[in-house]
Amino acid sequence: MSMSYSFRLAVQSLLHDKWINFLSVLTIAVGLLFTAITLLTVFNISLATKDLPEKFSIMLYLKEDLSQQDIETLMKTARKDPSVEKVKYITKEEGWKELKASLKNTDYILEGVGENPLPDSVEIKLKSETISPETVKKLTASLKAIKGVSEIEYGEKFLASIYSLSMGIKTIGAILIIIMSAGTLFVCYSTVKILFYRKNSEIETYKLLGASRGFIRAPFIIEGAVIGLSGGVLSLIGIFILYYLVLLKVSLAFPIFKSFIFPVNMSFALPAAGLLLGITGAVFAIGRIRY
Amino acid sequence: MIQFRDVSKHYDNQTALRKITFFVDRGEMVFITGPSGSGKTTLLKMVYMAETPDEGDITVADMELMKLTESSIPALRKNIGVVFQDFRLLDNRDVFENIAIALRIRNIDEREIKAKVFESLKLVNLRHKSDHYPTTLSGGEQQRIAIARAIVSEPMILLADEPTGNVDPDTSAGIIKTFKEINARGTTIMLATHNRELFRNSGKRVLKLDFGNYAGEELG
Repeated sequence: MSMSYSFRLAVQSLLHDKWINFLSVLTIAVGLLFTAITLLTVFNISLATKDLPEKFSIMLYLKEDLSQQDIETLMKTARKDPSVEKVKYITKEEGWKELKASLKNTDYILEGVGENPLPDSVEIKLKSETISPETVKKLTASLKAIKGVSEIEYGEKFLASIYSLSMGIKTIGAILIIIMSAGTLFVCYSTVKILFYRKNSEIETYKLLGASRGFIRAPFIIEGAVIGLSGGVLSLIGIFILYYLVLLKVSLAFPIFKSFIFPVNMSFALPAAGLLLGITGAVFAIGRIRY
Repeated sequence: MIQFRDVSKHYDNQTALRKITFFVDRGEMVFITGPSGSGKTTLLKMVYMAETPDEGDITVADMELMKLTESSIPALRKNIGVVFQDFRLLDNRDVFENIAIALRIRNIDEREIKAKVFESLKLVNLRHKSDHYPTTLSGGEQQRIAIARAIVSEPMILLADEPTGNVDPDTSAGIIKTFKEINARGTTIMLATHNRELFRNSGKRVLKLDFGNYAGEELG
């Protein structure tokens, strides 16, 4: 089958129904633009909250008069847990020093405190990908059971809030992306379907003349691809305009937007997504060709 | 080349064809005749599998149609040129493109397409109309374009359903002459018509249908 002929048919058809096709391209562009905005927002928020788990740690306060061996066993047990990244032993002296350093000019607070009241402690850092309220709860329960631990402290509320924030953003993002993609797919599907119905008699003639399924399908798939790709490119132009003209101006008034990042990959992803959705929509619209 | 064995076709409660048996030899030209509604069109449609029989067997160009898979139908149809009763021309393409489509489907290269289309247009005396659109042509001209499209790919078999239905007697004689020329090149032809004038003194076999029944044959 001659591909150039299929291209010619597709271009002729695209030009013949230029307004309906242009509207489809616009609709797809808007759909993909909203998808891209959602993706960008999710991407930037998760980028901003990425460092938060690193600040998170679990502090184990140890009982007095533990032997060196007890401490080593305790640290070994803590290290065994797959979610643990780093275990650090802090003597009461080091703890005292750190506390003083963190208070800096306000260390007069400690003036009344004579002797170092801090116990020895162990700081546990978790792997950021494993941090969730459940894993931490489970881990602290098992750590509590270790001999020599008197008290455990971690930012429970802090953890719960950053966790639910990131989960919430991801869930909303995923739902929005699914809805937008389904919408875009449907636009491609219905555009090609209308075209297919309108050309029903022509297709019947092709079939009777001996045309293969590929010959019949090719122009429609090319059409779907062109519509999807054009929508993708248009949405990319839209997002560039939004990013460079709108966001950069807004960031003059609200500096927080300055850290908003535009991933370069998106430049390829949007037209590619448009192309893929266009082809998929067309394939669904044509369905199985029966002789 | 074409063989029907006890072929029957029913639509709802009506019988379109009843136990039809006949054969057409390679290179033969055969007329099928009978009044309107006698089953001529249904019979022709069965040859290129636009219709399938409810009973019986059909063999076309050594292909047993009842055993043919759906995906092999295009291959069968590529061996057959059809002049449809309603022409089936594409109104949004000019005459050249309407004929060329039969070759594009067969993946013929562009230079050959041009030569063959003009050759077949010459055969039906419409070379000067190659850039016209079907809707601007008379019924007779459209019919000749349909013939040109059916013969352009030089198929093994040519089927024609009332190919002179819209033309005056002179043009009609010209069309039959064209069919005879094509047949002389070795193409097997089945021509359905209710017009007895077409096959009178033709020297060709005439198969007769009468309300779905085979009513024997005669020599035209």
